[in-house]
Amino acid sequence: MIQPQTHLNVADNSGARELMCIRVIGASNRRYAHIGDVIVAVIKEAVPNTPLERSEVIRAVIVRTCKELKRDNGMIIRYDDNAAVVIDQEGNPKGTRIFGAIARELRQLNFTKIVSLAPEVL
Amino acid sequence: MWTVLRARAGCSSRSLLQPWKLGFPSLSTTAFDGGVLDLQEIQKILTDVQADDVKIIPAPKHNDWTDFMVLATGRSSWHVKNIAQALIYQAKQKQIGVERMMLPSVQGQEDGKWIVIDSGKVIVHALDENARAYYNLEGLWTRGTLPNEPIEDLHKALVKVRRKNNSKKPAQKKA
Repeated sequence: MIQPQTHLNVADNSGARELMCIRVIGASNRRYAHIGDVIVAVIKEAVPNTPLERSEVIRAVIVRTCKELKRDNGMIIRYDDNAAVVIDQEGNPKGTRIFGAIARELRQLNFTKIVSLAPEVL
Repeated sequence: MWTVLRARAGCSSRSLLQPWKLGFPSLSTTAFDGGVLDLQEIQKILTDVQADDVKIIPAPKHNDWTDFMVLATGRSSWHVKNIAQALIYQAKQKQIGVERMMLPSVQGQEDGKWIVIDSGKVIVHALDENARAYYNLEGLWTRGTLPNEPIEDLHKALVKVRRKNNSKKPAQKKA
């Protein structure tokens, strides 16, 4: 459950380190974003000397949430952190590698690029 | 290409040639058989549209979400889009007259930098030269021990560094 003002970790090597959600993309009054949803976020913290800077507005895909993700077979997945991957307007990831485990629901939501860069798919 | 692949894969070359018989034997024989393109067809299409530097990478063992990754380079964004179009066209041609067509999912078709044609067991990545060098996908997938590699990067990513506050001047002692 990511809403505006939620802080998220960054799960890639794009150079951003912490994001804050400022808008959930979807319907006009959408409250919460879950795994696989696109948000507009602002970079709160960045690695020095990288293309991305602090206070830059970017788009990101949520890849991990503390709120549990339920599957039809009864499996429940819950991560320890909220994490997102920085993408551009076309959906290409800004970073070249992704850290940590990724849920396979992302592939059904047309983020195969992110899944194919990930080290582990749950 | 096939001989190279066979030599590299070694003992698993037999399973390379009949890749669909592994997972769901009942599914692959009945419903899914005619649907998606197999490796030989994909390779033929890629040579027909003159895609450069085609590489077929069998997925690592712990990777259960796909069997093969195919990489292809296009010379321009139009060329990359044409590679994707040719694959979709061939998938459609293969299923003419079928009641329910199964088309691969295609992502990134608007800009021709990186197009993914995902037909389940085989995922084709068509990239332009810059994107291929930037993402270095074959370096990621052909590496032997995948989970051990990114750990130092991960440590770097997780270290929290406090931001410097330049707005306040340091308290100076008057001597």
